[in-house]
Amino acid sequence: MLFFQSLISGILTGGVYALAAMGMSLVFGVMNISNFAHGELMMLGMYLAYYLFILFNIDPFIALLIIMPLTFGFGYAVEKTMIGRVIDHPSENQILLTVGFGLIMSNTALLAFTSDPKILTTSYSSSSISLPGDISVSIPMLLSFIITCALTAALYLFLAKTKTGMALRATSQNREAAQLMGIDVSRMSSIAFGTGTLLAASAGAMIAQTYYIDPFAGHTFLLKSFTICVLGGLGSVIGAAVGGIVIGLVEAMSSAYLSTDWKDVVVFVLFLAILLLRPRGLFGRKGEQ
Amino acid sequence: MTRTLAAIALFTAAAAVLPLFLGDNPYVADIIITMLMMASLASAWNIVGGYAGQFSFGHAAYFGAGAYTTSILLTTGNPGIPLCVAAGVAVSCVIALLTGAIVFRLRGHYFALASIAVAEIVRLTALNLDITGGAQGILVTDVSFGALDMNSKNPFYYAMLFLLVFTLCLSAWLRRTRAGFYLLAIREDQDAAASLGINLYLWKNMALLLSAALASVAGSIYAVYIRFIDTSAVLSLRLSIEIILTTIIGGIGTLWGPVLGATLLVSLAEALRSNMIGAFLVNAGAVSEGSAIGKFLNNNLAHAHVLVYGIITVLCILNLPKGILGMFRRKGSA
Amino acid sequence: MKEKLLEITSLSKHFGGNAAVSNVSFDVEEEMILGLIGPNGSGKTTLFNCITGYYPLSSGSVRFIGRDITGMKPDKACRLGMVRTWQRVKPLGSLSVLENVMIGAFAKTRSPVRSRNIALERLEMLGMGGLGPKAAGKLPIGLKKKLELARALATGPKLLLLDEICGGLNYSETQELLETIRGIRENGTAIVFIEHDMKAVTGLCDRIVVLKSGEKLAEGLPSEITSNPAVIAAYLGAGYGHA
Repeated sequence: MLFFQSLISGILTGGVYALAAMGMSLVFGVMNISNFAHGELMMLGMYLAYYLFILFNIDPFIALLIIMPLTFGFGYAVEKTMIGRVIDHPSENQILLTVGFGLIMSNTALLAFTSDPKILTTSYSSSSISLPGDISVSIPMLLSFIITCALTAALYLFLAKTKTGMALRATSQNREAAQLMGIDVSRMSSIAFGTGTLLAASAGAMIAQTYYIDPFAGHTFLLKSFTICVLGGLGSVIGAAVGGIVIGLVEAMSSAYLSTDWKDVVVFVLFLAILLLRPRGLFGRKGEQ
Repeated sequence: MTRTLAAIALFTAAAAVLPLFLGDNPYVADIIITMLMMASLASAWNIVGGYAGQFSFGHAAYFGAGAYTTSILLTTGNPGIPLCVAAGVAVSCVIALLTGAIVFRLRGHYFALASIAVAEIVRLTALNLDITGGAQGILVTDVSFGALDMNSKNPFYYAMLFLLVFTLCLSAWLRRTRAGFYLLAIREDQDAAASLGINLYLWKNMALLLSAALASVAGSIYAVYIRFIDTSAVLSLRLSIEIILTTIIGGIGTLWGPVLGATLLVSLAEALRSNMIGAFLVNAGAVSEGSAIGKFLNNNLAHAHVLVYGIITVLCILNLPKGILGMFRRKGSA
Repeated sequence: MKEKLLEITSLSKHFGGNAAVSNVSFDVEEEMILGLIGPNGSGKTTLFNCITGYYPLSSGSVRFIGRDITGMKPDKACRLGMVRTWQRVKPLGSLSVLENVMIGAFAKTRSPVRSRNIALERLEMLGMGGLGPKAAGKLPIGLKKKLELARALATGPKLLLLDEICGGLNYSETQELLETIRGIRENGTAIVFIEHDMKAVTGLCDRIVVLKSGEKLAEGLPSEITSNPAVIAAYLGAGYGHA
């Protein structure tokens, strides 16, 4: 039964990873920038969910309705004032800029909220559904998985059906050609970064009941998101969705059968193996440059 | 060349007599030792990051390998500090060779990500093994070495100074040799470099190996000096990033950039940590101590140095991506 | 009878399902200038990338000075004496012109002093003697093309592969550069010369290979090529006299 328990919790956790990684992949695809502040954007979502609950008693899942537009605007503004200015710089400078931005965010959070971890507890935080065979499914994780699926579907429809979505995909395929076709690529960058921020923050808000909330909580998710993006193919949103589930499963299985202490090591070793053996990832088109 | 050598000699002489003027002030000595250490680390990083243009985001792994190897040997029967340092260098070189074998097949984003992953694997391994003391870290009690007074700051001051001067001389020399030219060529354009007969894989690994060995020595000296290490002190991603920032802010690819960067950033961190800036604002009458702002500054500025690093990095990348020295150089040549 | 320097046998390169180069064979003899012409997208640069080891071949083989160098890394090929220039120039931008050429010369010597001397000599030869201290990235395009050539020459090659070295140059610059290339051959270096514009090469080449859609359309003396009906139909008809 350990196997099925791990399978279920792996898929549920993987869903949230997927959501965070899709945001990162979208930003990479459209802007060709690796966002090292992505974990901090998740942290932002966690704190927003926490304070909306503490101060206004808004349920973290309902709070998404407030968090999403707010963080989209934040991401849009950050791209306009900061990240977008280095789009033609060498990738090292872009990485350092996002590292610097991440340091500003996490350390501002440190000043504002101190390093004491916060715990968001709702009435159903620790409730779970029991399935036959002693398998339990945590309610908050299940809810966040369902919402993740809905958001993924929404993102997919947005990219596939709307004019803006198609323009985003065109920019992601070939920035120069998109520009020649009259697409406002710098606006597309802002939209991509705003959407990436929104997705990261939503993922953060949804796991706020499951993880400790502290200024550096995003750190572990950063490297995981990268692993997922590389696995799915940097720039491929669907790849990120599938990669998220895969990494969730790998983690759950290695905690169950190896040890919890080494699960992150397994993920990073997998990451290096993918980089070496299949740098394009499962669904990628942008390979090794 | 002679001018560079003269500058290094002058710097060494000034730094060598500095302790005579400081007298017995352990606080100031400690700050200067930290500066020398960050300058050495940044100079070591500069060889692979600044000259060869390969941004390793995992240099803490080499620093930490030196620190851990030294601490482990010291706690299991102190075979003599030189041997500890040498063993640290050996371990670091092995890690560097493994890292190089993986990451140097990759470029750009992928290289940066892979270097972080390798460093994280090293950190998590140290965190989970018994021999490295796990999350508790390692406390070293016996650091005796010959007749040296290891309770004084001087041995550490001169050891770090020696390491820094050695790294500077090595960098200056490298810059004039074929190897140095090859590293610069790789930084500028890898395909062009290969077409001119440069074995990219070989030279990138050489640069990383050299850089890792130097960083490891810094780690060993640090371990003997502080006598307590854990993963968050010597293997964290934050340390790796601080090493890069020090180089970038001072001036990447220049000889003195890392030294300048270390001097500025360590002073700044210390000024914030000791609340010198908060106290200054209060004394200057800009803020009253009892006011809300005064209290906030008093309570918080001590934790703000990383925030300030972040702000400096963002401003630096947006406005002077070549660092402080790079800016002067550009103006000078124009 | 001259020795064969480079032997290309049935070389093919596919990207996914597309054949960029298919089944191309030709030889280059010592001290020969061979022109490789063809319309844009006919696979000339891909062929270069395959010969010099930037792309792995899909099939076929490359022999150089009697050795099989199929799949050999570019740097090793350079040390054997085969060096290329780039159609999209690749100056080592923040280094000086002299340093750029010195890096080429280091293929011949470890000594910075000797490499400097070789570099100065090459720059002098190309009429760039006074440009040594200038930043390579700041040169105008014509001089960047010449720098490519100087740097490649400094490695002391037996075979020089030039990828559209005259592209972007005006008429007199082109003539001057072609004269230099003739001089290089006289010093004993064989040359393979990619050119888009046929007129530029007919006067210079000993032999011409024409590519079309990745396949070898014709090979022969310049006079044979210019009168070959297939070549005229496929390539010259549209482009001749155009440039």
